[in-house]
Amino acid sequence: MQVFSSVRGLAGAGLMALGLAAAAPAAALTVYSAGPAPLIEALAAGFTKLSGEPVSVFQGTTGKIFARLEAEAANPQADVVISASWDSAVDLDQRGWLMPYASPKAASVPDVYKTSNYVAQGLSALALVWNTKSGTPRPGDWNDLTADAFRDKVNLPDPAQSGTALELLAGLVSAQGDKAWQLMSELRGNGAAVAGANAAALNPVLQGAKAAVFGAVDYVAYGQKAKGEAIEVIFPSSGTVIAPRPMMILKSTSQPEQAKAFIDYVLSSAGQTEVAKVYLIPATTGVPAQRVGLADIPLLQPSRAVDGGTPPATDRATLLREFDQAFGR
Amino acid sequence: MATRRLRRSATRQGAGHGARGETGRNRRSAKAGVFPPRGGATSAAGLKHFTIAALLIVVGLPLAMIGLQAVFPEIAAGRLGAPFTALAPVFQDPRLPQLILNTLKLAAGVVLLSAVIGIPLGVLRGWFRIPVAPLWDLLMLVPFLIPPYIAAMGWILFLQPAGYWQQLTGWHAGNFLFSFPGVVFVMTLNVFPVVYFAVSRGVASAGGRLADVARVCGAPPWRALWRVTLPLAAPAMAASLLLAFAMSIEEYGTPAVLAANAGFFVLVTGIESRLSEWPIDLPGAAVMSLILVALALTVFSLQRRLLRGRDFETIGGKPAAMAERELGVWRWPVLLAFTAVVMLATVAPLFAIGATAFSRTLSGGLTAGNLGLDHFHAIFTEGSAALRAFGLSIGLGLAAALLTGLLGAAVAYVASRPAQRGGRWLDALSALPNTLPGVVVAVGLILLWNQPFLPFTPYNTVAILLLAYVCLLLPYPVRYAQAALRQVAGNLEAAARVHGAGIYRALWRIVLPLVWPSVLAAMVLVFAVASRELVASLLLAPAGMQTVSVFVWRQFEQGSVGQGMAVSLLTILATGGLILAALHVLRRLQRN
Repeated sequence: MQVFSSVRGLAGAGLMALGLAAAAPAAALTVYSAGPAPLIEALAAGFTKLSGEPVSVFQGTTGKIFARLEAEAANPQADVVISASWDSAVDLDQRGWLMPYASPKAASVPDVYKTSNYVAQGLSALALVWNTKSGTPRPGDWNDLTADAFRDKVNLPDPAQSGTALELLAGLVSAQGDKAWQLMSELRGNGAAVAGANAAALNPVLQGAKAAVFGAVDYVAYGQKAKGEAIEVIFPSSGTVIAPRPMMILKSTSQPEQAKAFIDYVLSSAGQTEVAKVYLIPATTGVPAQRVGLADIPLLQPSRAVDGGTPPATDRATLLREFDQAFGR
Repeated sequence: MATRRLRRSATRQGAGHGARGETGRNRRSAKAGVFPPRGGATSAAGLKHFTIAALLIVVGLPLAMIGLQAVFPEIAAGRLGAPFTALAPVFQDPRLPQLILNTLKLAAGVVLLSAVIGIPLGVLRGWFRIPVAPLWDLLMLVPFLIPPYIAAMGWILFLQPAGYWQQLTGWHAGNFLFSFPGVVFVMTLNVFPVVYFAVSRGVASAGGRLADVARVCGAPPWRALWRVTLPLAAPAMAASLLLAFAMSIEEYGTPAVLAANAGFFVLVTGIESRLSEWPIDLPGAAVMSLILVALALTVFSLQRRLLRGRDFETIGGKPAAMAERELGVWRWPVLLAFTAVVMLATVAPLFAIGATAFSRTLSGGLTAGNLGLDHFHAIFTEGSAALRAFGLSIGLGLAAALLTGLLGAAVAYVASRPAQRGGRWLDALSALPNTLPGVVVAVGLILLWNQPFLPFTPYNTVAILLLAYVCLLLPYPVRYAQAALRQVAGNLEAAARVHGAGIYRALWRIVLPLVWPSVLAAMVLVFAVASRELVASLLLAPAGMQTVSVFVWRQFEQGSVGQGMAVSLLTILATGGLILAALHVLRRLQRN
């Protein structure tokens, strides 16, 4: 009797839970994409208009996308993944999750921004973002932020929370070695603050609580500047790093043809025009950037992209440990 | 003790009378309509089993998946390899003791400050006639409608150097804000309303008759309050402080936004970073979540021990008119206290949110030329995404409030009846989600519902969000209903049963009306919190769907603080308006 009741209760509650569930998911192409949201929405709409195939989008930070991919590993849901961190694609590739695809549209993407299994959707660069009304002198290079004028007025995105900030750190260390860590110590000595992820570092600069961000993602700042914020995006004279945004197809996809067609569309001139609209640098050379282009950004040498591999002593754990040490955290 | 014995024997009698009462009950059931003519004992068991099963599905299984994830690191990929290998790295991390210490420090600070603010205000509200009382209630509810991370961002915009406060007065409080006391301050303002509402309800329902008896016997009013009403409301106070403790060890928004600047890290920021920074570490996050759960369970059992034998039954049968007491000369100081708290908890963050929403640019500051409706304009011209997100959040909030209200009341009832063995476990299980960060519950739900062998799954549909909200918010109605049930004498229900009412009828006509105000208060809270839930939604939102909070978060992520704040402001106003309308309608209904 007791057992029967339990079973009946369980079945009832189960039915209730199932009744809430809608019909099985439609056979739309599922794309997981890092921000910006308007870009992936425009790309999805454009692809659907062109091919008639519906696209279903999950948009989040790179971290959220990968948390979801990991948790779904037993039964992957995504077909195409667009990340803001090149290293995350390298990692998925090493684990054998990716389906090789050489898009014919990728021909004009520079070799450093594509492999046989993933290709850049667009590029961003790390920059100094400076509040023009802050009463501080316009900085021209990273070192300028250690000047007295910038005491307590500099924000750094936390490399533990921002993949791009980590890439900048790696770029600085592989280009300048110990001088990079000295720069970090001097920044700390000058009262620079480590302030969460990218948006958390930028917002105080908009209001004027801080004068500059050391290593902001450029396209976000360009977007804010276009909306009238009094900021300037400055590429330091000693060089910075490029953060390519990899696109990849998961091996587990049930619709490889649509997935390939989607990649082709993003790399087409229509797709790359959408990429340019949000102030990213298009990955193909055919479409012009709506901002400072790749050719005009000084790069740190050697950067990871040129090497094709990770230089010594710039693995994540080492970088974060030394960064924490430099900032006394 | 005597009551308990009486209650138990009454229940036995009720069951014994089952056979005899059968015909009578059948006759009445035609009139009662909705109540199935079932035997009392069987029905009671049915309710119990249904409640247990529902609780297991909504809470037990997702949490079990977290436990499994902690033990079997590869379970997300469907393998049971390398068991227990995830434990060592977490426990050997030299930062772990500091994280645990910081978590406890933060929770202690928030609970203490919430008690200091929430208990006196709650007692005053429940005991005296406060001018425009419903308005104060509404204003105290607003902090719940403001997502914690938005409130924290509002405080930053308000108090940081060059913030609104400095623009208005020339002063800033950046050093205070980005410090441990600053984090406690901001978090308390989000949390203290749970204490305020629970205490004011508890005092109001405990206050009446027994305190009047004390008065008749010659006790002065303050003494009646101190010796009679406050001890009677103690369970409600303790339950709400426990809730505040759980909320502050679980809350992610405030520590993430503020504490990172202060270099003050807690367990939940450690968990979140394992789940939101590549490389993702699901097993590590699961292990750290279990540490959080252990902390909460310790406090939970402590609370049970403290409250043992302190159930006071104050609602014993006769209806009593609630005679609220007059404040007299204390009227103005009391109003001043309410005003001060509301200014801090409600007006200041709303001002920062509004100022940002109506400013064209942040760098333009608070000047007439910088005022504009640009952000609102953008919401309504950039397509219907914001409006659809808004509709989804409101719908989910309502559904979550209904489901948690029903299930929560059932759980509290089943767990509170003294004859129930295992009631303690039900109780603990229903409290657990409150101690888990939303993101962890989200991972548990994915692990559970994304198994390839399931014939149907709510995953990737809107139902998964509902499941997440019900799981996360169930503790509110359970705590609130429990506090109310502790005051309802079991012999009322027993009396109904003796007179032949079936269990459902006794529940519907006797128990539910008595606990209804508390459950309703909890449901309003659930609606407020569910319609703005962010952390679980960010991970669980089905492809192609977004809630308001997710929409706002995406705006922030792209640096559009103004537009995000504009949507937040509209949402706060709309949810506040809805709650107001609902309460108005309910008051009308109750009067009739």
